Parts: sequence; structure tokens; C-alpha cells
Amino acid sequence: MPTVSPSAVHDVTVIDRRELAPGIVLIGLHAPALARVTRPGHFAMVIPPSGETAATALGIYEAHDERVSLLFFAVGKRTHELATLKIGDPLGVIGPLGNGFTIGDARDVAIVAGGVGIASVLLPAQRALAAGARVRLYYGARTRDLLVERERFAAEGCDVLVATDDGSDGYRGYVTELLAQTHEPPELILACGPSPMLRAVARTAGEMNVPAQLSLEETFACGVGGCWGCVVPLVRDSAQAPSFPPAERQGSDVVYARICKEGPVFWAHELRW
Amino acid sequence: MNTHSVDLSVTIGKLELPYPTFMGSGCYGSGEEFAPFVDLSRIGAVVLKSVTRLPRLGNPTPRLVHTPAGMLNAIGLQNPGIDWYLDHDVKKFAERPCAVVGSVAGFSVDDYAYTVERLAARDEIKAIELNISCPNVAHEGETFACDPRLTANVVRAARATTDKTLIVKLSPNVTDIAGIAREAEAAGADALAVINTVRGMAIDVETWRPRLGNVTGGLSGPAIRPIAVLAVYEVARAVKIPIVGQGGIETVTDALEFFLAGASAVSIGTGNFTDPRIPVRIVDELAEYLARRNCASLRQIVGKANVGFANPYQFEGDEG
Ligand SMILES: Cc1cc2nc3c(=O)[nH]c(=O)nc-3n(C[C@H](O)[C@H](O)[C@H](O)COP(=O)(O)O)c2cc1C
Ligand code: FES
Repeated sequence: MPTVSPSAVHDVTVIDRRELAPGIVLIGLHAPALARVTRPGHFAMVIPPSGETAATALGIYEAHDERVSLLFFAVGKRTHELATLKIGDPLGVIGPLGNGFTIGDARDVAIVAGGVGIASVLLPAQRALAAGARVRLYYGARTRDLLVERERFAAEGCDVLVATDDGSDGYRGYVTELLAQTHEPPELILACGPSPMLRAVARTAGEMNVPAQLSLEETFACGVGGCWGCVVPLVRDSAQAPSFPPAERQGSDVVYARICKEGPVFWAHELRW
Repeated sequence: MNTHSVDLSVTIGKLELPYPTFMGSGCYGSGEEFAPFVDLSRIGAVVLKSVTRLPRLGNPTPRLVHTPAGMLNAIGLQNPGIDWYLDHDVKKFAERPCAVVGSVAGFSVDDYAYTVERLAARDEIKAIELNISCPNVAHEGETFACDPRLTANVVRAARATTDKTLIVKLSPNVTDIAGIAREAEAAGADALAVINTVRGMAIDVETWRPRLGNVTGGLSGPAIRPIAVLAVYEVARAVKIPIVGQGGIETVTDALEFFLAGASAVSIGTGNFTDPRIPVRIVDELAEYLARRNCASLRQIVGKANVGFANPYQFEGDEG
């Protein structure tokens, strides 16, 4: 049975724009159709309003009622352009895309977010809290000012534990060290952030013997599985591996999976990176 | 002239298409990936990702980097190999509401002939594009499209295995693309795809490492459009077979440059990464443009770039 994809190109309107910290912007969109079908861990491709080449992949931060929001760092030409959008501006958004987090019936969930990774973890936090789970957010950033939206997560009901590189707030050091110090291992770990952090989460989760799902970031071209540009090596017989001849035919026990299609969320123990 | 009565159809070898738009190989999956965003019955043909005789894992990561007005890619022809492809993937292509063109890459004349013969034998595949110009696997041998003799040999061998339309994809990374085009035509090509990506490189100045796992890559997008328009112009003067022009097409104006330079059809690759609605928008606006210019058919403008003006000012030295 071919499943009908819920994704589409949406013509939406900017209804909110806030600079949460220097260079960190939240754009709220009136996007009822997109809000309805977005699930935790999904992302969107934003069509550059000025016609700049290649859409920009962004995690979906909020999705409820008629609203979707995107939270991002203005780092390159295309994100800078999005940062200058004004209320009332039209925007083309492709989504929702990708395979998101699977929370299941875990009763105790730890979410690890590094920097802009916070943009992809509000929806899974809300989902887990709604199911009655305890949710601890381990949130790391370079410095205090960049820990945007921490009050929001606390207000939702998360226990928020923070770490900063410069010690300006919370634990001084990596957020993954904070996770490793816990005396109450969670049942499930979800993480989004820069790849060195995700590798550390994978290691820590392995040591704790707790399953972990990681939301990966990579440069995208198509964002929909059409170009094989955004890959990560995966154990060939894992459930998420794309169709490929079995290992005995070609030696290697890994296969490259598309982060935009098979991911962006992968089980840590199935990655070979 | 009425927009609806404008004839946009094209004939490429034996392939009859209602619209002059191909979706570039390696950019569009098998079409299925884009089906939620575009009405595939309103595009001409999807060219599939290139397939090879044996499975290929592809290049190490990163495989993509955004660059001004385009991007570099070095995918390295990741594909499951022709056996697996025929058993698992090809039958799904019958359901596509547009023509499906197979793309074949290889590392020897024998590889190409073998893979073309097997793929072309399938009814789901309406034509074959010979990718002899992938810049990202060149370390494993010479790029066929950079050598006139190799081009002739590989096209002749592929031609001998099938009567289906054979489109040969040329590389811009040569000094005389017209010469290569003539060889391909003489060896039996039905059409030429002009151009594949332009070789390029980008370096991270913090780490001093290349930005691509493969070190070098292929540049695509608007950055290469003028290179591609010139290549089409030169090839159109050298051969009689139709040309599928490509390289940085994102708007109807871009597409028109290619038609005027001598392309019978165009292909959109990187443009789909900007907005998947681009191919259908181009077709709609092309009909409007032609109606406005009182042209009943797209064919009327192919190769009509007017380059015959005289230079009114000359010194003696300008002659040489
Ligand atoms: C990510 C990517 C993958 C590509 N893969 C292939 C391929 O497998 N085979 C091929 O013949 N061309 C491949 N190409 C080249 C395109 O089909 C096209 O010829 C080229 O990019 C120029 O057109 P564009 O600027 O519209 O993309 C690829 C291009 C890109 C950007
Ligand atoms: S970005 Fe094209 S396959 Fe993921």
C-alpha cells in the first residue's frame, strides 16, 4: 500500500518575528495545513524569498493550531535573508520532511540539545510530557545569552539542566558530561546539536546502556531524498537502511543512508560514523 | 496567439514529449521523491540517477557544499548496481505519469555496453542517457567525455546494444566540446545533453581541509549558466541532432537562452532544490512568452540567437 505523503509546498505568511539573542531568530508562520501534519523531529525546506539558489533546511520548532515556527541562527547568506523577514511577508515552505523521533511509552526521557539543536526538541518534549513522561532537558551552549527558550521548556514541564562552555551559567563544560553524571539514567535519550556533541551523546548512551535517537544535521541539496548528497554511514541491516544489495555481495557492512529521507533521526547504535 | 494553442512538444530521437523539460539526472531521484510537490504529468521526462554495472557505496562525506549561485557536489555515483536496480527499482518507474529516461555510467566501454543493454531492455525505460561526463569518479580512470576517441568508442558500443533513444551527456571540462559532440553524433548518438557539472573545489580556511570528502566536485546552478549557454551554442553549430541544454536553469528567461542558443529541450537539476515548482512554472511561462511573440511552436525559436551583426568600428589590428 503506497502511503500518501503528507508533505507539500505551503504558501504561508510571517506572523511573528523575534530576535531571541544576537543572531538567533524565531519566525512564526500562519501555516495551518503544515501545523496539522508536523510530528516531533520533522524539518522543513524554506524557499529563499529573493530567489537565492537552494532552499534552506530548518527544524520545526513549534506546530500547533494554525501556527508553525522556525528557530535558527543567522549564519549564512540564506539564513541572514530569512532573519530579515517582516510580519506579513509571504514565504514558501516545503514540509514536513523526514522521519522524526519515536517516543513510544518511555516514562523517563532525557533530551540533549546543543546550541541551535534546541530548535528540534520542543515538539518531542511536548509529546513525551503529554504522554505523562518525566522529561529532563540537558541544554548546552557557548555562553549564557545563547541559552534561548530555556524558560519555555521549564514552563512546559521539563526539568532544565544547563551547561555553558564559559561557565557563565550552570555546569561549566560539555552538556554531555552533565548527562553522564546523572544517578538516574533515563529510559530514552533524544538529542539534537552539533555532530561532536551527538557523538558524545552516542558514547554516553552506550555506557549507560540507554537507547538514544539522534537528529543529524548535514548540508542538504534536495531535502527530499532525490540526490544522495546528505548521507551518513549506517549498519546495512538496520531498519532504516535504504534498499541496497546485501553485504556478502560487496564486502562492506555499512550503507550510506540519506539524512533527509531515512533520517534526520537515527538510532545511535546503528550509525557507523 | 492563445497560450493554450502554443505547441511545446519536442521530439528527441524516438522520444515524443509534451513538454520540453527534463529533470536532471542525480537531482530528482526517480521522480517519486518530488511527486508531493509537483504534478509530474506536467513535466517532459525524469532522468534517473546514474546506475553502474556493480554496486557503488559512493564518495565519503561531505558530499555537498553551497557556493555562490550554486553548489558543488561529489556524490560518487552511489547506486545499487544494475542487477539489484532491475529487480527492485525499475518496475516502480512504470507508474510515473511522465517519461522515464535511464542514466548509465561506467568505467570501461564494456561496462557501458553491458549496463545499457540490460537497462534498455526494460519497457519502463523510454530512453537512455549515457553519463560519460561525471567529474566525481575520474580518479578511477579517464572521463570518457574528455577524449574524442573514448567518446566515439563508448557511444558506438552502447549504440550497438539498443534501438532506444540514446542521449549522450557531455562534459564542459574540455577545450573543444564541439569536436567531442561531432564524435558522439558520428558514433550514433540520437541527442546530446549539454552540459554536466563544471569541476570545482572549495577549502575550509579554519581547518585547511577541502570542503568535500572527495576533495574536488562538480559545480552546478546559475554559476555555470553562461558556460552552459556557450557550450550549447557551439555544439548546436557542430551537429544536427537535438540538444538537451542544462546548467543553472531556474526561470523561463534562463530556459529561453538555451533554446535560442540551439537547445531543443532543457533540463532542470539544481533549480529543483530552490523550488520544486520551477519546472512547471517554466512550462507555463514559456507558453505565455511564445504566445506573446506570436510563435505557434517552441521549435520556431530553437537556435535563433541572432549573432550575425557586424562590428561598425574596426582598426586594422582587429582583423587578425
Ligand atoms: C547533487 C547532484 C547530483 C548529480 N548526479 C548526476 C548523475 O548521477 N548523473 C549525471 O549524469 N548528472 C548528475 N548531475 C548533473 C546534473 O544532472 C546536471 O547536468 C548539472 O547539475 C547541471 O544542471 P543544473 O545546474 O540544472 O543542476 C548531478 C548534479 C547534482 C547537483
Ligand atoms: S539532500 Fe538530497 S538526498 Fe538528502
